[in-house]
Amino acid sequence: MAPVSLEKLTKVYPNGFEAVHEFDLEVADGEFMILVGPSGCGKTTAMRMVAGLEEISSGVLRIDGVVMNDVSPRDRDIAMVFQNYALYPHMTVGENIGFALKMKHIPKDEIEKKVRETAEILGLTEWIDRKPAQLSGGQRQRVAMGRAIVREPKVFLMDEPLSNLDAKLRVQMRAEVARIQRRLGVATIYVTHDQVEAMTMGDRVAVMRSGVVLQCDKPQTIYDHPLNLFVAGFMGSPSMNLFEVHLGEGGRTLFLGTQKVELPATVLAAKPSLVKFANKDVVVGIRPESLMIAGTKTNDNAKDFVFFEGDVDLVEALGSEILVHFSTDAHRVEAEGVYSDDAEGLDAGLITQRGEGVARVPPETQLVIGERVRLQVNPKRLFFFDPATGLALSE
Amino acid sequence: MRFFNRVWTRTFSYIVLLAFTAFFMVPVIWLLFSPFKTDHQLISENPFALGTLENLGHAVRVMFTFEDYSLLNWLKNSAIYSFGGIFIALIFSIPAGYGLAHTQFIGRRTLLGITLFVMIMPATALVLPLFLEANSVHAVGTPLAVILPFSFFPFGVYLAYIFYSSSVPKDLLAAARIDGCNEWDVFRRIALPLARPIVALVTFFAFVANWNNFFLPFVMLPNSTNYPLPIGLQDLLSTTPAFNPGQGGQVGIYRPELAVATIVAMAPVMIVFLFAQRSLVSGLLAGSTKE
Repeated sequence: MAPVSLEKLTKVYPNGFEAVHEFDLEVADGEFMILVGPSGCGKTTAMRMVAGLEEISSGVLRIDGVVMNDVSPRDRDIAMVFQNYALYPHMTVGENIGFALKMKHIPKDEIEKKVRETAEILGLTEWIDRKPAQLSGGQRQRVAMGRAIVREPKVFLMDEPLSNLDAKLRVQMRAEVARIQRRLGVATIYVTHDQVEAMTMGDRVAVMRSGVVLQCDKPQTIYDHPLNLFVAGFMGSPSMNLFEVHLGEGGRTLFLGTQKVELPATVLAAKPSLVKFANKDVVVGIRPESLMIAGTKTNDNAKDFVFFEGDVDLVEALGSEILVHFSTDAHRVEAEGVYSDDAEGLDAGLITQRGEGVARVPPETQLVIGERVRLQVNPKRLFFFDPATGLALSE
Repeated sequence: MRFFNRVWTRTFSYIVLLAFTAFFMVPVIWLLFSPFKTDHQLISENPFALGTLENLGHAVRVMFTFEDYSLLNWLKNSAIYSFGGIFIALIFSIPAGYGLAHTQFIGRRTLLGITLFVMIMPATALVLPLFLEANSVHAVGTPLAVILPFSFFPFGVYLAYIFYSSSVPKDLLAAARIDGCNEWDVFRRIALPLARPIVALVTFFAFVANWNNFFLPFVMLPNSTNYPLPIGLQDLLSTTPAFNPGQGGQVGIYRPELAVATIVAMAPVMIVFLFAQRSLVSGLLAGSTKE
């Protein structure tokens, strides 16, 4: 029996706004489930319904098989970590961690023992008598974690717990949270807008937009086989390059703006449905890491590759790699929400502009801004989407 | 040139500050010096002339023993009325502010509006209706006729509302609910302990208002044994020969004795202010900075 099961969970606010629409989800025992999406996509509302902090408009929520729709938060046996930590400012670290146990009327010495153990796990032992105001952001975050894990609940709920930390600490805590979750083996729902967290931490990821789950699968599966334009654009950093192109006769050539690109027969063999788009527009997606600069020594045995040209606009050397921003005269893709204005989850500066593209190339590549470069990509790594529906073309 | 400008600005601001200080402090200093003098010295001598300790002793003795220790009785009355009112005001205003800030119910906005409206209404405007109310339940002349109106303190509700809506995030209360609190526990274990600065603030403002309130007790309490200090002082004033020659010295109360009584009336507010000062600042600043 799944610890958490959501069946057509829906939230409609009194003003008629539907924040979550028929959300179906099963979280298995010990599973780390990530809800990811831009802000306002309903992920936090969905989690708060599980916590009992938001009323469920319709649908059924079960925890351990028991319907929880009308059960108060304190009787759901869940623990939650809040974005702003929500530590009790008037209590010490120890009292914060032990508060839930105190409310359960567990004997004092037992509480103390458990609090000590928890503090040990999180490296908080020497801070146990401090007040939250005297702690750093990272320590507060740990206390919030401690408050959740000390209870040994059926489910952990985490609402963007790392978003208030600075970048370096976030990377560190990301691994730590994942490690603790594996160690405790408690089913977890984790809300984030950060696709890196979604990729790295979860067993499965549900990508949400406008209250609807667009795709729910293993992170790698989502990355390799996005079901639609939004998921393709959202997962991955820098995000996938999307160009609207015109497909030629029989689907054997495509026109990227004014450039004519020959498609090898293998492409059509792998995606027969492409034929339907002959003489029509289609959206092509290319991950930045699939793009290479033609003629560099790392890939000279590239005869089956597809080539096109672009003007180098900007070169960002990150040490381990170079991000090459280039522009073509291809049409820009305007699928709703693909290039979200809300860029909080994407690293600033790495967002591809509409109609432009990014390639991730080795650091030794020599590039000059303004220069025209020939880019190549393995045709197997091309994604195709229907521009009308935004859906990926099936195999 | 700039140097002179700066000096001039400085000098000017000091002059302004000194003028204001003098304006407010001279009466207080004069008052503090008064009991050391005799009634005659008080009028004829330099206002800041030092008197003698002997005179002080005399004035204090006369004032405190006057009419069977009336002054102490008034002091006691003032304390009972003020603190009684504050106590009840706190019991109601803190939970009321919490409720207005953190729960949704029909009429919440209306209630908030009414609170604001009553808050800006002058207290004296309510005295007559309150008197009629008290009269109809035969409470006039009893301490309750003063304590109950004192405990009606919409400003406290408003302060608590501002505090809870600005400085206590909803997630904190949500965390408590998830940690196993019912609504009462959420208030008692989380919201109430956090309200400490606001309790100090409400206490201070209510105390000053109650302690100095003249008109309400004046109307409600006809009997001199029930008088709080301000009414007692007024009573003294009207019987002092210096102010009211018709009374002709049958009571031994002169201006130095009155000064003693005035200092006794003033002191508690100052003491409370001194103690509450730190909490007052933190209470007033609550919510102005992000934690």
